[in-house]
Amino acid sequence: MPTVRLRDASEYPEQAQKMFELSKAWFNYDFKQPPAMSRVMAWDPEFGGPHGRAMKRAMGPGEFTRAEKEMVAAVVSGVNACVY
Amino acid sequence: MEAHTAAGKLQGLAEDALWYEAAHVVGITNALNVVADGLGGAGRLFSPVDGPGTPPEVETVYAEIRAFYDRKEVPLAFRLLGHDAGYLAEFWAAVRHAFADNRLSRRLKEALAFAVSLTSRSTFGAAFHLEEMRRLGVGERGVLEVLGVTQMFSSYTKIADTLQLESDMGVIAPVDSTPAPGGRAS
Repeated sequence: MPTVRLRDASEYPEQAQKMFELSKAWFNYDFKQPPAMSRVMAWDPEFGGPHGRAMKRAMGPGEFTRAEKEMVAAVVSGVNACVY
Repeated sequence: MEAHTAAGKLQGLAEDALWYEAAHVVGITNALNVVADGLGGAGRLFSPVDGPGTPPEVETVYAEIRAFYDRKEVPLAFRLLGHDAGYLAEFWAAVRHAFADNRLSRRLKEALAFAVSLTSRSTFGAAFHLEEMRRLGVGERGVLEVLGVTQMFSSYTKIADTLQLESDMGVIAPVDSTPAPGGRAS
């Protein structure tokens, strides 16, 4: 169980709503609620903003495709034993 | 982990067979690294098997390993296993199969192994798989891409763990209803 109360998307300010829309586009999936991690990263835009942009820069297509990079991210999560 | 498996499936890697292959690469990479990093510095207490006294059955496996990696020297992880030719042969067969071009390319598998090695702080694995990535044609940009993804998701995973987030992404992935290889659909 999360150690913090994850806020409903409606509890976030306008700036975060834009991040949630970007999250939908990023995953190409129409979430009822933004993923928990998106809501966590939207808590502090001065951290979540640059962190998210760095992630998107790393995940963008280059020598490896976005899908291949999702697989790289999955194995990193696996080695870190992160179920999320 | 579920988030990226789901995202990867949504991005086109929808078949479970691809993820089975990736998981095998992760496991066998960790197995190589455990031996090389754990025993590589043991010196005389547990020395690698190489040189003129190498038994012929071990040398046969070593020849396959050199050919697979196109290098003169057998990587340390395998030489440390040369004390038991039978074990080495079976272990090598698993490694070779896991890393061979199959549904996933060998190039991507080396990138996965590099990410695994960085994440687990394996000095042997990071150097070995970086060298293999480059040998297989991955350029500096590609290496930095894998480095960036590894670093960013070493951050996200710890944020998720610290807050004990529960996975809410698995359900978005398409389900592969095909049977196991050679099996029948239920």
